[in-house]
Amino acid sequence: MDQARARRRAPLWLLLAAAIPVALTILPVIYVVLRGFEAGLAPAWETLVRPRTAELLGNTLALALAVTFASTLIGLACAWVIERCDLPGRRWWRTLVCLPLAVPAFVSSYAWASLGPSFQALGGAILILTLSHFPLIYLPAAAALRRMDTRLEDVARSLGDTAPRAFFRVVLPQLRPALGGGALLVLAHMLAEFGALSLLRVQTFTTAIFAEYELQFNSANAALLSGMLMALCLPVAFGEAKLRGVNRLSRTDRRSRRHPPLSRLGLWMWPVQIALAVLSAAALGVPLFMLAYWLSVGLSIGAGAGDVGAAMLGSLQLSIGGAVVTTLLALPLVLLAMRHHSRIARLAERLPYVVHGLPGLVVALALIFVAIRWVPVLYQSTMLVLVAYAILFLPLAQSALRATAELVPPELEQAARTLGRGPVEAFMAVTLPALAPGVGAALALIVLELMRELTATLLLAPNGVTTLATEVWSYTNDGSYAAAAPFAALLVLVSGVPVYVFTMRTLKSGRREIVEA
Amino acid sequence: MYRTSRRALLRAGAALGSAVLLGKPALLRAASAEELTLYNGQHRQTTDAVVAAFTRKTGIDVLVRNGSSPQIANQLLEEGALSPADVFYSEGSPPVAALAKRGMLAAIAPDTLNQVPKDYVSPEGLWLGVSARARVVAFNRDLVKEADLPASLLGFADPKWKDRIGYAPTSDAFQEQIVAILRLRGRDAVLDWLKGMKQVGRVYNNNIGAMQAVERAEIPAALINNYYWFTVAREVGAAKMRSSLHYIRHQDPGALITVSAAGMLKTGRNPEAAQAFLAFLVSAEGQQVVVDSMAEYPLRAGIKSPFALEPWDKLDPPPIKPAALGDASEAIPLAREAGLA
Repeated sequence: MDQARARRRAPLWLLLAAAIPVALTILPVIYVVLRGFEAGLAPAWETLVRPRTAELLGNTLALALAVTFASTLIGLACAWVIERCDLPGRRWWRTLVCLPLAVPAFVSSYAWASLGPSFQALGGAILILTLSHFPLIYLPAAAALRRMDTRLEDVARSLGDTAPRAFFRVVLPQLRPALGGGALLVLAHMLAEFGALSLLRVQTFTTAIFAEYELQFNSANAALLSGMLMALCLPVAFGEAKLRGVNRLSRTDRRSRRHPPLSRLGLWMWPVQIALAVLSAAALGVPLFMLAYWLSVGLSIGAGAGDVGAAMLGSLQLSIGGAVVTTLLALPLVLLAMRHHSRIARLAERLPYVVHGLPGLVVALALIFVAIRWVPVLYQSTMLVLVAYAILFLPLAQSALRATAELVPPELEQAARTLGRGPVEAFMAVTLPALAPGVGAALALIVLELMRELTATLLLAPNGVTTLATEVWSYTNDGSYAAAAPFAALLVLVSGVPVYVFTMRTLKSGRREIVEA
Repeated sequence: MYRTSRRALLRAGAALGSAVLLGKPALLRAASAEELTLYNGQHRQTTDAVVAAFTRKTGIDVLVRNGSSPQIANQLLEEGALSPADVFYSEGSPPVAALAKRGMLAAIAPDTLNQVPKDYVSPEGLWLGVSARARVVAFNRDLVKEADLPASLLGFADPKWKDRIGYAPTSDAFQEQIVAILRLRGRDAVLDWLKGMKQVGRVYNNNIGAMQAVERAEIPAALINNYYWFTVAREVGAAKMRSSLHYIRHQDPGALITVSAAGMLKTGRNPEAAQAFLAFLVSAEGQQVVVDSMAEYPLRAGIKSPFALEPWDKLDPPPIKPAALGDASEAIPLAREAGLA
């Protein structure tokens, strides 16, 4: 009783720490509302009921739902055959399936678009974006499959369930949090995706917000569309919490873990191998081949060769700095939500998900607006870019941190408390070290996302600061594909590092337990 | 378990430390007095070349911020008096005109303005045209014969062009074209045309995308600016091109001439360097650098482009000058009424 109450009331320091990311996240919301009102009620209504708005809504929803669904299916299927079946070469497949993460969607979109017009439409966009996003489902699903308690499956099998039946009755429900988190991530990506869609001729809210902003020298209409996009993210954010449920995943009983038995593929082995090969060729082979092609063929090559170093430095500086800031800001949110189930804690945890669906452009505009009026010294500083990154990518850090935090039983911290440690001390001694693997995963994932971030960087970066992504974008926009190719190739290469770290971190959270068993 | 975690924590700490160290130098970097801050919306290859030549000549360093012209114009509007920008060099004239309309631009030295024909500078002397280009139709020779192209731009809205004509409705140049049709043929004509284009045309997100689609035989024809053909030709080699340019001529709105333009900000910290930069843009030397970098027409007499441009005298454009297009804001309500935006 006493314990439960202690858990509910959050300490002041934690509330204060959580207030910072919440305040930052609210900024773009306020901006969108203010600017939306500037448009006036009648024009706002006109915008809402235009046929064009319905068209955008249809495209946005179709794309987001289809990509999320297809990514979940593919990601889950890969995780199952690689982690739970006697597939030869599993270690190789594990790496190959994760590598598409290193290729930014706008890079692979160009590669596919140049193969033929049929890819430049909604169907093509769904295919291409699924290919670049399914690893986001594969990774958490594979990690969850590895650390899953297999005794439940054994029980189901011993009660006469066939393997598929046991999968649907026992395994899938346990995968729900991992799949839900991954799916939400993909969905939010889709709502905010810009670069790829712009190359693929698909018009969604995000591309329309851009067009509005570009066409008229007035951002009120863009704000209206942003408001609608934000509304689309609401069910996503709250649905995720529902999906995650109140499953308690942490276990104190360590002996229950053992290596899960591998299912026999039998004759299915060949179709599975072929399917994985086709998947890898499509997701990885096509973009890499096109990069090589442009490097060898284009005549504009070398146009920006002297800027590669500066762009590389800009990318590293902004993405590493951004990852650190974002992870630091996410920590209090996760702790608050994990240990103190209040309404404020829940809101604080979900708000970033709502904003995560906003395009970088809107967040950047909000920050320009705020910085110029109230803190001009921050305008066009690296700091402001990092703040924008934090606002955009908090949920990623939250998910990664929560994945490990959920494995730490609250009893451990309680035990430390009963042994006479203060709350801060107990937190430092028990919870923080346990979160460390999650911190690693969060940092790697966010570095990866920030490497390819385009729109906020374009607007907010200090004068003269470029990144690999902005250089690729600005050259491809000019049609200088060969000039863009070295930047794109380097971007893919450098992204390989966080992909490796993130993959290892995510999968290890499962493997370590297996080894210890 | 604890040992592994602590190591991870240390690693994270090391990453944090190095990030802070890396992040420090750029933090709150301010532009120095000798540096010109240029907000650039013009194609990069041109600006990069011009800036290099300018710095070589004057010793003035130029800090360039790249982006699309409308995006930069918006950013300048948002920044207002606090903008660090000295000069705005735009791909089209409407974004600069938008700033002029809101009183953000300073007067350009008359000597500089006099270097280019009056038709291509702002009547108030707040911006100047730097280079010109023609609206054209790019067509794929394997898919359509030049003789079968309509005699007027307005002819493309015909149902027989269903899924055969590409265009980029959100591009600067298309907005300018809308205003041109409005001036030349009136509101009803432009609305009919836009509605027709919405029905039959294929939308591309920008001109270069539309041009590449034509070259790839994805669509028979597209409305673009003349230099995009040369940009693609530079990538793949002119001899291998399967597309050509069609010039509509006879003062049709499809033969519109538009300009890239530049102006200096009232609030710039370095007005002398800004004046020097604008003067350089229209000097013989500057103009040569501009036309060497891209297939645009020089605005100054006596400059020769290395590209195989259609002769300027044969373009026969409609009698609409860039200043008459204003900030092209009239195009938006029309595009919207037609369901295009």
